[in-house]
Amino acid sequence: MASTPEKTKTKTNKEKHHTEMTYRRLWSKAIFAGYEQGLWNQREHPALLKTEGVCARDETELYLSKRCACVHKAKKNTVTTGGKSYKTRVIWGKITQAHGKCGTVWAKFQSNCPIRATGHSICVMQYRSRI
Amino acid sequence: MAGEKAEKPDTKEKKPEAKKADAGNKAKKVKMVKKVKKGKPHCSRNPVLVRGIGRYSRSPDSRKVLKHARKLRASITPGTVLIILPGRHGGKRVVFLKQLGSGLLLVSGPLSLNRVPLRRTHQKFVIATSTKIDISGVKIPEHLTDTYFKKKKLHKPRHQEGEIFHTEREKYEITEQRKVDQKAVDSQMLRRIKAAPLFQGYLRSMFALTDGIYPHKVVF
Repeated sequence: MASTPEKTKTKTNKEKHHTEMTYRRLWSKAIFAGYEQGLWNQREHPALLKTEGVCARDETELYLSKRCACVHKAKKNTVTTGGKSYKTRVIWGKITQAHGKCGTVWAKFQSNCPIRATGHSICVMQYRSRI
Repeated sequence: MAGEKAEKPDTKEKKPEAKKADAGNKAKKVKMVKKVKKGKPHCSRNPVLVRGIGRYSRSPDSRKVLKHARKLRASITPGTVLIILPGRHGGKRVVFLKQLGSGLLLVSGPLSLNRVPLRRTHQKFVIATSTKIDISGVKIPEHLTDTYFKKKKLHKPRHQEGEIFHTEREKYEITEQRKVDQKAVDSQMLRRIKAAPLFQGYLRSMFALTDGIYPHKVVF
C-alpha cells in the first residue's frame, strides 16, 4: 500500500510544481471581466468575474461567498506561508453577489484587482463551503 | 454596527461583529457563530461596565464564544465522506467522526488509505458528499477533544551564551499517544470500509476539478 507523499500547499503556490504529487486543481476558473461600471463611470472595488461554466444567475448560487484569488507574478520573490519564497503573488478576495442574468458575479478583493488582469484567470476556491 | 452587546441575533446573517464583541478574547476558529442574546433592557456600550466583564478579560467565564451553540450542517453526519478543501490534505476524501466541543469536525483518513490522521477540520472548508459509512459501532476514545488536538507551540531556541548558532528549533513529533489512538479508531473503521465495495479505492482517490467539471453542476 503506497503511502501518498504529502504535498505542501502554500497559499501562493499556484505554480505547478510537479514535485512528488501531480497537481490537482481544486479551484474553478474564472475570468476577470472588468470592474463594476455604469455607462461612464467605473468603480474598481467590485470586480466582475465570469466563472467558467456558469451561464445563468441561478447557477451562481453555489459560488457566492467563495474565496477567490487573483494570482499574478512579480519580479521579486516574496515569502509565502510555508516559508518558501516565490515570484507568484496573490490578491485574495471573495465573491459577494451575482450580477445580471448570465452568471457573472461580483468579487471584492482585499486590494483591487489590477486592470492588467482583465481577461485573465482568477481562481475561485470551493471554500467556504455551504454544501 | 452599534450596540455590540444588546443586539438581537439575526439568524440568517453571519455576523463578523460577533467576533468584535469578543475582541478581547482569544480568537477561536468558530466562523459560523450565532450571537448569544443578552436580555438587558438598558444596554451600556462600554464593555467594561457590562456585567463587570472587562473588555480584555481573558478569564474562562467571560469567553462567550464557549457558550455559543455549535451548528452542524445537515449534510454532515457521522460516517459521511468529506472532501477536505484547502491545506496539505486538499482534495482528500476523509471520514467524518464527530463534532468536537469547539465546533470543529474530527475526521480520519483513515491514515493507511490517504495519510490523513485523526485531525480537526472546519465545516466551512469541507464539502460533504452524500456517501456515508455506517460507523455507529465505532467507539471513539473519549479523550479526543480540542485540547488533545490543540497545536503545541514549538519553542524557538533562546539565544544563550556560546550557543548562538547551535540551537535548533523544536520539531513537531508525532506522539505515541497519537499513534495509539489512530490505530484504535482506524482499525474499527477499516473493518467497515473493507466490507463496503469500492470504498477503499474511493477514500484513496482524490477529488480534483478537470475540464468540463463545474462544481455547480456536480452532485456531491
